[in-house]
Amino acid sequence: MLEESLAKKRGNFSATVCANKQIRERFYRLVLEFSGEGAEAFAKTGAGQFAQLDLSDTALPSVEAIPDDLADVAERKILLRRPFSFADVTTKGNKTSVDILYCVIGPATLRMTTLSAKESVSVLGPLGNGFWVPDGTKTALLVSGGMGAGPLQHLAKVLTSDFPDIDVIAFAGARSAEALPFERRLDEISQQLGFSLPEFAKYGVESLVATDDGSAGFTGPVTGCLSEWLGRSKSAGKGMVIYSCGPEAMLARVAEIAKEKNIDCQVSMERRMACGISLCQSCAVECRTTGSNETVYKLCCQDGPVFDGSEVAWGIE
Amino acid sequence: MSEEVDISVEFAGIRLANPVFTASGTSGYADELGDFMDVSSLGGFITKSITVKPRKGNATPRIVETDSGMLNAIGWANIGLDAFIDEKLGALEKLSCSVFVNIAGETIDEYVAVAERLAGERAIAGLELNISCPNVELGGISFGTEPEQVAEVTSAVKKVSGDKVLMVKLPPAVTNVSVIAQVAVDSGADALSLINTFTAMVIDIETRKPVLANRTGGLSGPAIKPIAVYLVNKVYEEVTKSLGIPILGMGGIRTVSDAIEFIIAGASAVAVGTANFVDPGCTAKIVEGIKKYCAGKNISNVKELVGSLEAEQDAAN
Repeated sequence: MLEESLAKKRGNFSATVCANKQIRERFYRLVLEFSGEGAEAFAKTGAGQFAQLDLSDTALPSVEAIPDDLADVAERKILLRRPFSFADVTTKGNKTSVDILYCVIGPATLRMTTLSAKESVSVLGPLGNGFWVPDGTKTALLVSGGMGAGPLQHLAKVLTSDFPDIDVIAFAGARSAEALPFERRLDEISQQLGFSLPEFAKYGVESLVATDDGSAGFTGPVTGCLSEWLGRSKSAGKGMVIYSCGPEAMLARVAEIAKEKNIDCQVSMERRMACGISLCQSCAVECRTTGSNETVYKLCCQDGPVFDGSEVAWGIE
Repeated sequence: MSEEVDISVEFAGIRLANPVFTASGTSGYADELGDFMDVSSLGGFITKSITVKPRKGNATPRIVETDSGMLNAIGWANIGLDAFIDEKLGALEKLSCSVFVNIAGETIDEYVAVAERLAGERAIAGLELNISCPNVELGGISFGTEPEQVAEVTSAVKKVSGDKVLMVKLPPAVTNVSVIAQVAVDSGADALSLINTFTAMVIDIETRKPVLANRTGGLSGPAIKPIAVYLVNKVYEEVTKSLGIPILGMGGIRTVSDAIEFIIAGASAVAVGTANFVDPGCTAKIVEGIKKYCAGKNISNVKELVGSLEAEQDAAN
């Protein structure tokens, strides 16, 4: 089981920046390399686990490079670390490198864009629990919204390499073609479905694209694309697992669809967190309890970030 | 440079190996810190708030970062007294540092119930009475701002706390903190800890709603440090110095020099809070740094530093 292979060891490690490539517009892919103990700890990172990056000392970009909507907040000081999951983890010799897919949304990710090769970054991790593979899984559906595509790329790799008998299909959604966090310009292949995303195709995983405005792939939310696919599928339900990462409203809908179709579902949740190691207790996720109407708060950092979709008390708050 | 610096301190009758604690609510029940530092290398450890019954805590968002600080409104999320004793005390007993349990309640009876049960536990050196938490509807700060209430809860808990050191944690935002401090000492406090967080608010200007689900939260971090240093010095000069009552100073400490400022101001020991979220091993570095500072200043015993603030600014300046 994937769960058992998760890293037991975690710590505060120094990583070296290998690359920090702008994929397009606000999307970047940062590659960090660990050696020594850090390499050992991160080599065992499970898909869906995360790390906390200290970006407090990272430089701001030049004024011209700051997007208008962030100009007002750009110079805010960063105190707390920021959590990121991984789009890829690779081990070569005694080094481990991790890929972080990120979007520039605030002062910390803005600073992140200036990280350049050979700079070092303090990384706390690997943290939390990743996706798991239930016994008897035959088909895995990876459903992402926007930046949620990151950890599902890592999962696609793990599933295809460690579980060759499982069929894997990716569904990637966003508001528009521009908002899809992939390198390939999808508006140029707008109506083309299947094998369209190199990030998944390189693992032999077919991918379906959905955009709210129809500028690429299916017109409508990715959950609509998923529903339609499940409606056509003859084997929906049996031995199928949905793995999902994206905005919470989307995850709630995915969990609802999964419940209707009696499909196992795992969701990667996001919460504001200070520490990532269950000290601060801030990243509470309201969860159902079995045999009672009471709910409990679990911690996104410690009990998650991946939860069973049926466990999360969607929309109660 | 003197090689042998004694940084052990006597704190209300307890011998601490060094004057550094982790602050309540920033280091869990201690087991969470184990991957990042040797908790036994601390002078003291303070648990998160323990209440008679388990508490779920507040809805999310529970935290928000501010310039050089953060607000939290966790709401005393904890496993409750019984589970704490069954599941956590065993590990705490193995620590070689002094363990304090932060106790909280909505009524005086609840404080008393927790104190009474813990008074007989060998693992515990002392109790920290939380009468200054800004994030719960009942109890907490409402006990800490009215002198009559402070007297009542402190003396009630003192009666049942046996030989445990009773430390009262003071709120910062009162008309005169020395009045509250004096009442606490007169009612049986063996030590004082200050300061707790400041009640504060952050507003989302798009929605015009408070960012925190609890509306307000407690401000902590470097932003509050100078106020904390001032209040520690005020209470030291006006209340505790003449009585020989020790102060545990806290509020925004993250570096060695921060800790030393508090000691010079009058704190016999210091607690590190928010900084644990960023660097969970920072307290171990602060312990070493205090030793180095003393050696560099030819101070053979850290005691010499406590309350060593020079009275007047040098006239030549």
